[in-house]
Amino acid sequence: MLMKATPTLNQSVFRRKIFFTTLTEALDYASQGQTGYNFYSRTGELSAALPYATLRDEARSLAKKLANMGVARGSRVALVADMNPDFVRFFFACQYAGLTPVPLPAQLQFGGRKAYVAQLKRLLSDCQAELAMAPDAFLPFLTEAADGPNVRFLGTPQDYDFLDETGASLSPVKPTELAYLQYTSGSTRFPRGVMISQKAVLSNLLAIIREGVKVREGDRAVSWLPFFHDMGLVGLLLCPMASQISVDFLHTRDFAMRPRLWLKLMSENRATISFSPPFGYELTARRLRDDDVHKYDLRSWRVAGVGAEMIRPEFLSHFAERLGPSGFDHRAFLPCYGMAECSLAVCFGLQGQSLQTDHVDADLLSEHQIAEPVDPRAGNGNGRYNTFVNCGVPLSGYEVEIRNSAGKVLPERHCGTLYLRGPSVMSGYWGNPKGTREVLSEDGWLNTGDLAYQIGSSVVITGREKDMLIIHGRNIWPQDIECLAELQPEVGTRDALAFSVPGPDGGEQAIVMVQCGVSDEQKSAEFEERIHRLIYDELGILCKVVLVPLDSLPQTTSGKPSRSGARKEYIRRTMQDQSANQKKEVDTGGVAARD
Amino acid sequence: MLSDRELFEQIVDILGPLANVGSKITADTDLVADLSLDSLKIMEFLLEIEDRFDISVPINVLSDIRTVRDVIFQLQRLLAEAD
Repeated sequence: MLMKATPTLNQSVFRRKIFFTTLTEALDYASQGQTGYNFYSRTGELSAALPYATLRDEARSLAKKLANMGVARGSRVALVADMNPDFVRFFFACQYAGLTPVPLPAQLQFGGRKAYVAQLKRLLSDCQAELAMAPDAFLPFLTEAADGPNVRFLGTPQDYDFLDETGASLSPVKPTELAYLQYTSGSTRFPRGVMISQKAVLSNLLAIIREGVKVREGDRAVSWLPFFHDMGLVGLLLCPMASQISVDFLHTRDFAMRPRLWLKLMSENRATISFSPPFGYELTARRLRDDDVHKYDLRSWRVAGVGAEMIRPEFLSHFAERLGPSGFDHRAFLPCYGMAECSLAVCFGLQGQSLQTDHVDADLLSEHQIAEPVDPRAGNGNGRYNTFVNCGVPLSGYEVEIRNSAGKVLPERHCGTLYLRGPSVMSGYWGNPKGTREVLSEDGWLNTGDLAYQIGSSVVITGREKDMLIIHGRNIWPQDIECLAELQPEVGTRDALAFSVPGPDGGEQAIVMVQCGVSDEQKSAEFEERIHRLIYDELGILCKVVLVPLDSLPQTTSGKPSRSGARKEYIRRTMQDQSANQKKEVDTGGVAARD
Repeated sequence: MLSDRELFEQIVDILGPLANVGSKITADTDLVADLSLDSLKIMEFLLEIEDRFDISVPINVLSDIRTVRDVIFQLQRLLAEAD
């Protein structure tokens, strides 16, 4: 029989339902229709179709095997979250068996074996997983990582197939129990597992479906977002199921290699919904070929969600301009804001509008934290201003406060730390009451660590209070970079500061400033190279290493090394170099030496 | 079947425009440390490899690749499997 993708529409007798109290209840309902998940190959061909009805049967059968393994209710089941039907079956099998799935990253880089195994090891030990699953390709890494006493059974999906089912009836996860543990938060060295209850995630799904995306008849989603990321897992795996629409999945790696496949799937399936961090739109626009645009038909694409990192409007306009002739409507862009600690989403922009941007006086903002609107054309366009994207209003049930460093709640257009309280906030970090107390108060307010101001009730994000770097959608903690630099014998503790600056491709460029006594030019170069290499091996990012003399790292007033000071110093130096280069350009008659 | 020498030349041909440096590529050239290929450039490199040799590079192979020599070794293996 020829394989067919699941249909966009359920049969006419089927009524959409969006109120559920658990994920199993949602899947039980979706399984009555014909929609489901579809997986595509690197050539964009359908490689597997998994209707919700089949998924439910297979997940229940697998749940009976898991329930027969003698692990306690709520035990963690670590799942290497590669983008394939097996992960999805296991995720839902855990739900039916009363166990807690823990999606683990499934990404590898050149020469990254050691770092990946170390990362898996830390995660397995932090969540104390008792069962673990990896697809064939990842099994050797997981096996190497799981040499501790906790993991009782580890295998590929085929290994689990051989197990016997329990004769007892299943007892699925209840509304107050955990739906999953999510490790997108925290540093790689000290991972923090976000605990999300069924109640929390179901409330977020409902709000996203009803108020954010406003799912309607004829909707179909496409996603290449990894399942171990909150936007991929909650937004594009769980949301479509909880609203009974079909999804077409493209492997993240295939997207990264062939971003135009995203547009091919959107066109061929007349898909209406897809989400990406800004860099995904930028990457796709950059890889388009001139004769491409007539191959695509993007007229159905009504929700092009943008989130997970700071939104730079100019890169989205580039995408919209290039694909205008293919029928892409720039009003489809839907900015959103959220984080794993809130299940996923907190704010959504308004649908069917172009991006709402706010221009504010840059000096007032940096000196007085006041976001005073300005006309960017004022003063012949010479006035300094910042442009931010309005991320829209909070979803139902969410309260927002902007607080200053003393904890005082600030009025509209005053910038401070964003605090949130709402129904989809995590229960805490797994096994980490101290870490939980640092961000979540007893009365339920979550410190997001993001800087923001409000216009009316809508939220505008301006930056981060925590110094986290976001490189190609991945959160990188500066401590992790600094730690690696400080491992070098030439470097002492508190001798390295990591931060990011805007990069040439619209994303962030990681920089680490290191003070050391190395002055010999060749030795410096070797030293820089060694740190650069180590950071790549451990964290998978290219980080620029800048050496400065001993005792010259900027400090805060209390004498601590200052990341923001180092960032300012770096930008000052770059600008100095640039003006020196420009001068040189004039001196040499326009023939500049490029480095 | 292609010799290591032929594979090497093809790889240099692919890396040249991506690496954006005049430095000489040898079998010992480290793709990340020497050529500064970031994750997206690496994806472009793999894309060229897959298209040119009509193979699929499995994701778990990457973790054992550092140098041009490693690429040749893995390619020979994948090409032999494809035959």
